[in-house]
Order: sequence, then structure tokens, then C-alpha cells
Amino acid sequence: MTAIDAQGTVAAARARRTPRQKRDARVAYAFLAPFLFLLLLFQYVPLAMMAKNAFMDYSLLNPDAAKFVGLLNFSDMLYFDDARESLAATFLFALGVVAIVIPLGFVLALFLDSKLPARGIVRTIIMLPVVTSAVVVATMWNFLLDPSNGLINGVVTAMGLPRQPFLTSPDQALVMIAVMTAWQQVGFAAILFLGGLQGVPKELAEAARIDGATARQVLWNITIPLLSRTTLFVVVIMTVFSLQAFAPAFLMTDGGPQDSTNLIVYHIYKTAFVMQNAGYASALSVLLLVIVLGISLLQMWLLRARWNY
Amino acid sequence: MKRVLFATLLGGSALAALPALAQEAACDGEPVTLRILRTPGNYPYPAPMEAWQKEHPCVSFEINEVPFAQLGDTISVQAASDDPPDILVYDGPNTQSYAKAGILLPVTKYLPEGWDEDILPATKAEHSYEGEVYSPGIEQTTVAMYYNKALTDAAGIEPPQTLDEAWTWPEALEAFKACQQGEPGAPEVWGLGPTRFGNGQPGLVYQDLIYQRSAGDPDADPDSSAYKTFWAMAPDGSTVEGYLDTPEAIEALTFYRSLFNEEGVAPKAGIPNAFFDGKACFYIDTPAAGNALLKDPVIDWGITPVPYFKTPVVHTGSTTIGVTARSKHPEIAAQFAVDMEWGEYAYMNVSQRGNLPTLKSLFPRFPAYQDYPMKVFTDQLEQWGQPRPPSPYFAQYDRIVTDAIRSVAFGGDPEEAMADAEREVARAMRR
Repeated sequence: MTAIDAQGTVAAARARRTPRQKRDARVAYAFLAPFLFLLLLFQYVPLAMMAKNAFMDYSLLNPDAAKFVGLLNFSDMLYFDDARESLAATFLFALGVVAIVIPLGFVLALFLDSKLPARGIVRTIIMLPVVTSAVVVATMWNFLLDPSNGLINGVVTAMGLPRQPFLTSPDQALVMIAVMTAWQQVGFAAILFLGGLQGVPKELAEAARIDGATARQVLWNITIPLLSRTTLFVVVIMTVFSLQAFAPAFLMTDGGPQDSTNLIVYHIYKTAFVMQNAGYASALSVLLLVIVLGISLLQMWLLRARWNY
Repeated sequence: MKRVLFATLLGGSALAALPALAQEAACDGEPVTLRILRTPGNYPYPAPMEAWQKEHPCVSFEINEVPFAQLGDTISVQAASDDPPDILVYDGPNTQSYAKAGILLPVTKYLPEGWDEDILPATKAEHSYEGEVYSPGIEQTTVAMYYNKALTDAAGIEPPQTLDEAWTWPEALEAFKACQQGEPGAPEVWGLGPTRFGNGQPGLVYQDLIYQRSAGDPDADPDSSAYKTFWAMAPDGSTVEGYLDTPEAIEALTFYRSLFNEEGVAPKAGIPNAFFDGKACFYIDTPAAGNALLKDPVIDWGITPVPYFKTPVVHTGSTTIGVTARSKHPEIAAQFAVDMEWGEYAYMNVSQRGNLPTLKSLFPRFPAYQDYPMKVFTDQLEQWGQPRPPSPYFAQYDRIVTDAIRSVAFGGDPEEAMADAEREVARAMRR
């Protein structure tokens, strides 16, 4: 069937709609309308305003004095270092979170999928940080990482090593907030992996075992390949989540030291509300939107169906 | 039983309605509701408001409170709305930013006779912009250095108690080292305790910019680095170029960095209540700490003036009351704001909070500040007090310079940090 034929068929079907179908469609639109209206009002209108503001120079204190500056906010991103440094810190942060969460989440999921004892307790333990407020988690880790009295430094010095300036060193702060975020999110990744593991047909592993495959060979040659879509999904979810992270920078480091943890969303907040440069903050938001959109499109392309089981 | 219940409800309703009736009966004009945005526990306080309402029976109040940490953000959002609050209780150093943005109403024409002579010069400078006064100012705070007398006595240290005997920073460092107990960088008792402001980390302009400013000289040639070091921004607020990374400032910041690193006498992170729990020999704070200790002396304590390098200096400033330019009732709102910050009403507000007034005539009415230890604050305010660099870009300056000083405290290069800060402030000023 050609495309023209297909279009003709759809048009004919539309023309043949019964009165009842038409009434159902009207009811469906009536039910959808309030939500579509809210979606339009609170999602797409602000997005359009943000895009417009990206070409303006104004402060939140006096938005009436906004003036059109063309591409100045975007050229500032190239001229000044802040956008580049903030994006670099954000991507490094995302890389750190993904690098920790994926293997750890997978191992935890394997454990939860097994018949080993204490699975229920472990499941609760790994899910607790996921449902705990980011403020509580950040405060707790602030105490743990305190350079003088923190528990972790207590262990470090008990081992005869020097105290570590975890959150006050430009070399360590980003790593530490990535570790904290990974600790909080690993339970979510484990649950996603567990769902993937439980969807893998048992017959494949059984057939392989009958053919003499070891448990490691089954894991490497059957389970992991069949979980590739789940893995990709977790990678994308964690990357997007990390690109949007705000709480660690806001609550633990104020974006410092030396802007080493100045994550992009925190930088946008600071630019708009503290530096009163809302136009530039809007331009940064547009850039972030494009990046996240790009990653989502990549996800859709990579996750397109190639096989099924 | 039903009758008793009915009578009780009727009586209760009548009693509840009485104040409203009384107010309505006394008001013979248009009722006005003034909307106030303030931080919790801050002025204007109920007693002066009620006293003022007796003279203005048509005015009632609607109060909204936000935590201090969110005050700036809230003002940013609400001040630009179609229906902003009438009265803002805001951080004084932001006066010029808000005035430039057209948020605040000038109140110069409402100021009472004698205000100019009575107000502290630092307050007037901070609350003025292009010849207009935007807030009369209600109270002043500054910082001094508290010490734990038991710990200093044990270390054989006698901190000075008057301004003319004040320590220099190197002298203070010797005292910190002598008093500190334990390994530098992680002692049981710190030489100099952490700030209670913000998240407890060092670097705040209010408290820590005075290190480098004190290495300057306000009487030097205006083109000299010593002069620029002292002001930390061009006195007309037009530029910071060459004001933050002077040789004097870099030397002072190198010393400052050593406190947190090489010498290890001050912590890089907050320790709640460190001074009050006996975990710090010295501690820099506002009169609030002294007032708390006067009420509940959990430790034996004293106050010594803030040390300096070349020119003693302390920052002034506090929250203050202003009127929004787009208030629907500007006349009565301005009258209320000015009244709350003048005479008896000012006394009622300031005495409840315990800080120092901005009016010199009120000083004698605060006996705690007439004698040592709290007198150190009065003397510092009168002799050493300087506003934080007044500028329409203060909010940006405050954030950028705080980040720079903090990075130095964490071990960063002072020259690089201050050069970056100058560039960033210049970028903010470009707009």
C-alpha cells in the first residue's frame, strides 16, 4: 500500500464515523480539555515566555525595563567561562552518577532477583534513600563529610590517613556530591533493573544451563544482552536526572569551591535570582532544554524496537 | 443545657466582635490595609504597631513572613507583581539595588526634623541613592570578637577591652594558637570559631571582607592601592577594577587563608553553637550573641574589638523598613515606615530585638551598651563603622565576593580569586 492509498483509507474511515463515534470523540475532548488547557498554561506558555526572555536583558526586580538584546545572552555564553564551566561540571557530575549507579544498581537487582535471604530488608534499605527528602539526605551527608568532625573523616584518620577536605576541595567536592546522589538514586535504578530481569524469559537461561553454560556465562551472554534496553533506559533516566540536579549544589556547596559544583540548574537559579540577570538565565535554560531534548531523542532512537522476547 | 450553650455562643460572638466594632467606631475615614513583608520575629513589632494604630484607627495590617534566606528571592518576585506589599522589611545593603530598580519609594520628604543630625552616617550612606533617602533605618548591627574567658585565662591571654588597645590580626593569631586545644585543623577547641551566618562556612562579605579592607587606608591618595583596598569598590559605586586585588588585599587574604589552612585555627565548615558549647576560644558575632549571653550566661565571656591590619574597620547594616514605590497607599505607608523608625516607636522596636539603634539620641536608653562588654559595639559603630560597599549592584557584589573569599579560605589563590571576582562584578555592572 502506498502512502497516498493509506491517507485515502484514513480519510474514508473518518468520513464513515457514526454519530455515536462522533459523540464519543466530543466527550473525550471535553474530558481532555481541562488538562490540555493546564498543560498549555503551565508548560508551553512558560516555555514560550522563556524562549522570548532569552533574547531580552532584564532583572526580576524591574521586568518592565526589559530590553531586546538579540543574541547577546547566547554570545555571552561563548565569551564568558561560566556556562562552559557549569556545563562541564554538570556533565562530569552526570557521568559520575551513571558510572556508580549502573553497575551497583544491576548487582543489587541481581541480588533482589535471587532466592537469597533478607531480600525484603535489602529492598527496603535501598529504597529508603529514594523516598527520603533531598534536604534530609544533603544535611546528613554534610555531617558525614564534615572536614573536622565528620564520621567519614573519623574512619579515614583511624586508618592512619590524613583528613580529607571532601566538600571544601575543588578536586573532591564534585566527586562527593556525585557519590551522594548515586547513593540516593541507586535504589531506583535497582528497581528498574529488577523489572527488566523479571521480564527476561527463564527458558533461555534454562536451555543454556542444559547445554552446559555456567552461571557466569548465562549472565554475560544472555541476561546482560537482553537487559540492554533496560540499561539504556536507566542510563538516560539517570543522565537527565543528573542534568537537572539542584539540591546538592544548593544545600551542600553553594556551587563551590571555585565553582567546581556549580551545576547548571543551580547556576540558572543563581543567575536569575541572585545576579538578577533573568535574560541570561533564560538563555541558559533554553540551552539546557535543547540538551535534554537531544538526549531524549537519542533515547527514542536507541530504544526503538529491534528484537522482542 | 441548650439555653446555656446558646447563651455562651451568643456571648462569645459578641465579645469576639467588640474589637472590630471599636475600630470601626473610631475610624471616620477610608479604611486602609497595609500589607507588610518581613522575616519571622522581625520588626515592626506588635506593641509599636498597636500604639501607632491608636493614632491611625483606619489602618489595619496584613503581615506575610518569609525566612531571611528566602527574603531576597521573595522580594524579587513580589515587588515586580501587579499587587506588591506596601511595606518591605529588607536587608539594608540592598537599598540602592531596590532604589535603582524602582522598587522603593523615596521617603526623604517624610523624614522628621533633626533626623539628619541624629542618624549614624554609615546608615544614611547605606540607605541613600542619588540624593534621596529610601529608608530611615531602624537598627544597626556590627560584629565584635567574643571570647571564652575560662579558656583565655587558662591560656594566659588577656584580650584588649577598648578600641585603642585592639589587636592586630597577627597578634590575634598568636592568641588563637595559644588558646586552641588539639591538633591544628581538627582540634577539640578551636582558636577562632565558625560563623553562625549562612551555612557556617567562611567568606561572608559582612564578616570577612573586613580583613582586606583593614589593610587599606581611607586617608591615602585616592589613586593609591591602599585607598582602593580600604573602600573595596569605587566610593561612587561605579567600578571595582583595581579595588579587590591590590597588593595589600592579597597580603591580607594570604593571612586569612592561613587561618583555615597552614595555621589550622579556624574551621572551614559550620559547627552549631561551637562558642556557646566551649568548643571555640574566640568567635565573631553581632550583639545578638551578647544579648543571649547576658540573659543566659552559659559561659564566662568577654568581648574584644575586631582585630585589624592597618585601619580598624567593621561593617554596619541590618534589616530595615521601606515602602514599595507601587504601594496603593504610599502616603500612609511612608508615614508608618518613618514613624516606626523614629523616636519612641523606634525605641520600642529596637529594644525588643536588642540590637543598637541607628539614632544616636537613643543610645543612652540602652544601658547594656554603656558599659563593657557591650560598649565595644557602640564604640566600634561610632568610630570604625562602614557600610558594606554601597552600590546598586550590591547583591551581585555580595555574592561574587563572598564566593571569592570563601574559595581563598578553602585554600584557593587570593590573586586569582580576586581578579575573577573583579571581572564578574564588572560583568554584572555592565547591565
